[in-house]
Amino acid sequence: MSKNILILFSIVFPIISGFVLLCYPKVKDRKKIQIYMLGVFGITGGFVSNIITGRAMTYTLYEFMESIPIYFKIDNMGRLFASLVTIAFILSGLYSFGYMEHERNEKRYFGFYLIVYGVFLGLIFSGNIVTLYIFYELLTLTSFFLVIYAQTREAVMAAMKYMFYSLCGAYMALFGIYFLYQYGTTLEFTPGGVLDPSLLQGKEEFFLFIAFFMLIGFSVKAGMFPMHGWLSSAHPVAPAPASGILSGIIVKAGVFAIIRIVFEIFGADFLKGSWVQQVWMTLSLITIFMGSMLAYKESIVKKRFAYSTVSQISYILFGLSLLEPKGFVGALFHTCVHIFVKTGLFLAIGGMIFKTGNIKVEHLDGIGKKMPFTLWCYTLLSLSLIGIPPAGGFLSKWFLAIGSLESGISVFSWIGPIILVVSALLTAGYVLPITMNGFFPKADWTYKRDELRKVMVIPILILTVLAIGIGMFPNRLVTYIGNIAEQLL
Amino acid sequence: MDFVQNIPFFSIILSMFSGIVSSVLSGKNAKRLNTFVVFFVGVMSFVLFLYLMQKGESYIYRMGHFPAPWGNEIRAGVLEAFMAFFFCVIMLCSLIGGRKHLIKEIEENKVNLYYILVNLLLSSLLALIYTNDLFTAYVFVEINTISACGLIMIRQTGRTIEAATRYMIMSLLGSGLLLIGICLLYDLTGHLLMSYIQMEIAIIVEQGMYTVPIILAIAFISIGLAIKSALYPFHSWLPDAYGYSTVSSSAILSSLVSKGYIFLLIKIFYRIIGFAIIRDSKIIHILFAFGICGMIMGSLGAIKENDIRRMIAFSSVAQIGYIYIGIGLGTKLAMTAGIFHIFSHAASKALLFISAVGITDASNESKKFADLTGAGYRNMIAGVGFTIGSLSMVGVPLFSGFISKFMFAQSSLQVPGKMLPALIVLGISTILNTIYFMKTVIRIYTPAKESTYEKIRFFTNLSYSVSIICFGIVNVTLGLWSQPIVEMIQTGLDMLA
Repeated sequence: MSKNILILFSIVFPIISGFVLLCYPKVKDRKKIQIYMLGVFGITGGFVSNIITGRAMTYTLYEFMESIPIYFKIDNMGRLFASLVTIAFILSGLYSFGYMEHERNEKRYFGFYLIVYGVFLGLIFSGNIVTLYIFYELLTLTSFFLVIYAQTREAVMAAMKYMFYSLCGAYMALFGIYFLYQYGTTLEFTPGGVLDPSLLQGKEEFFLFIAFFMLIGFSVKAGMFPMHGWLSSAHPVAPAPASGILSGIIVKAGVFAIIRIVFEIFGADFLKGSWVQQVWMTLSLITIFMGSMLAYKESIVKKRFAYSTVSQISYILFGLSLLEPKGFVGALFHTCVHIFVKTGLFLAIGGMIFKTGNIKVEHLDGIGKKMPFTLWCYTLLSLSLIGIPPAGGFLSKWFLAIGSLESGISVFSWIGPIILVVSALLTAGYVLPITMNGFFPKADWTYKRDELRKVMVIPILILTVLAIGIGMFPNRLVTYIGNIAEQLL
Repeated sequence: MDFVQNIPFFSIILSMFSGIVSSVLSGKNAKRLNTFVVFFVGVMSFVLFLYLMQKGESYIYRMGHFPAPWGNEIRAGVLEAFMAFFFCVIMLCSLIGGRKHLIKEIEENKVNLYYILVNLLLSSLLALIYTNDLFTAYVFVEINTISACGLIMIRQTGRTIEAATRYMIMSLLGSGLLLIGICLLYDLTGHLLMSYIQMEIAIIVEQGMYTVPIILAIAFISIGLAIKSALYPFHSWLPDAYGYSTVSSSAILSSLVSKGYIFLLIKIFYRIIGFAIIRDSKIIHILFAFGICGMIMGSLGAIKENDIRRMIAFSSVAQIGYIYIGIGLGTKLAMTAGIFHIFSHAASKALLFISAVGITDASNESKKFADLTGAGYRNMIAGVGFTIGSLSMVGVPLFSGFISKFMFAQSSLQVPGKMLPALIVLGISTILNTIYFMKTVIRIYTPAKESTYEKIRFFTNLSYSVSIICFGIVNVTLGLWSQPIVEMIQTGLDMLA
């Protein structure tokens, strides 16, 4: 049997294990679920590491529709995303062991957690646009259950909103796929684009419109203005580790799909200098600023970080919209940083809420006396989010600013860096007060140390180390991303 | 002649005579006989399908003594055989799914009457599928109408009697128009057999004579069958008829009866008039426009509805609209999409009706949305079934609805003038579908505060659960392995022409 079938295993195995966990009635013993989860994580992690260290490979499952196969492909971008996603999923999975102990129905949570993981791997390994689309839809449908987990009225409404936004976005993208099927040479992702110039003759304007449509459709999941509404309601209602996954990982599905369609379906050259690029840049810059502003004003902690995600993802989108190598490197680098930072932050503040039950910023005063270790991790992660050297966030913003200046697109080349700086200041404004008031509460009261359990602290610690470490030793990653940029541009 | 070729004739006769025999049987035995007949016809049709696939061409089967230009004929191709097989599968599952419920819904001494009607309905459907002459088609259209009316009315409440009367009036109007159309064609050509009419029509059109009567005939036939298959704006009979009749009846009526008429229309277009003439006659533009309106108005109707069964019924109006835009686009690919949607809609709509009844059962028989809260937990299998059906209707990949939508969109790209309206309406209608189906799914999975309702377990009603599982499998199969079916439809269409 060829090694290529490993791809299928890595996708199907977590999905099936998730279903088994869901269907298996009455597991009362918490330990058993945890061991099962560890086993699944271990095996899937093994598959994934085997795939990403191996050579490039493809796997065709079967012909889904006329000349459209369900087709998987491993390329450099897939490798990068798969490793990031696996790290984040396993770490928040470990954290959930501690976190979910006070929740009911943890079996259901873990079951869907595994399914989402498998579906996400499927999305990353997709080799053509239809396969990607299918997994994108599945991702919406399965992550829906993570949002709705608490089953309160608020959670149900948030989940509805999430589903509605995502499905509509996906259908906008589907609309574009119809045309690509007609006018593209193939639907497989090919660096440089697949549009057939001879068929395209005289329809360029129309296809720019299609590209715009697909871009907007996929950026719903990435929370770009004006489609960011679902994030701030969906992320806070989920359990903390699930919020971490939603904010750190699921939104990246939108980013990933956008990279695929822009660079490997339409081709960067097709969009360069067009109105689509300009609208895209404008929207992403607006989102950067607006997200930070909203986060600054928000007093519910989880909502604050959901808005922060809105803003941070648009850094990535802005980098991509430059359509040139430096910006691309900055964007992908920021993707890595943001996955670590945002997952870590949600786990950390989830821990604080878990211990204190307070969901508002002003109620977290003195938290640093109670849980110094968690707050230290939080602080270091925040520094990375703001972009203070040597943490990871600094480098990504550096690349984004350089890329923007070098791009030479009239207004945007200098307005981009300005907004980046302003937004960084705002970021400092909304993350640091928690640290300051946490360590130096205004009033005196007696503090009792009450740190999180090891199984919850260690994942946060690892994420913090990764977020800082990536900024201190960036060279290999930057070279790797540089190679991807070279292929795609 | 191979022995297998007797199958179409034999299926029709078998189901018709079993109806007659049922009249002297007890309810229980009638049920057994009916199950056997549907199953047996399904198996036979599948055998015929395999035979025809192997043989690669259709054949004509003469009934009675009179040779070609006069007697009756049956004609079977790949598409017909597959459709007969598929209809039997859906019918069997629908009947099994609604069986327990039937006891509550109709009086005990009428059970055998119910199965008589079902048998007659099956025979008329098969006849509509297989027939090669217009007169037989007309006769069985009437039989179909009458048995469908009976199926609506057999559950005797005020609403059903009103619904049946309405259905009867509208349907008879449709049959009347169809009859006028057939008379015109007979007058013009002097034949009733499809192949002969086609030859004559080709000659007449070539000579440029009788253009108005031909257009009129096409129009009468199209509108007549459109009324009967509930194309918007002739759909007013539909929500009541599907919403209040017995479970199995709604499932069968919505997924099979209207589809039988649509298939007859397709057959008339291909076999009698010739598709090239239809395309030039501009009738398809009108069907296209009606289809487009239907897609939107049906969904809007469903959104406004506060009764789950009527909501599903309204959604049928939208789905029929989809099929008609497949016809209206006027390309082979679009027709393929339309026929695929016949299958996909049959599979999902029947599933929805059957699972909706499980949901209402778990909510003290209330059909109002407010009472359905949390029903998905009380009746697990029905909840799952409803979710699958909804996802398929919305057009989520992996389920059958996605394939048909994809094909509609693809085929509309080949027709420049109709591309934009079709795509835009497809988009709008998808979003509207999402709104009302997802609303229901969320509703049934929102936990209820007090659970005064009884729980329904998987094994308490085994036949029901089995039927939902079967429907689910059919749906996913159509969604995942659509390729062979699409190819089969295309070969079938080639055989029709």
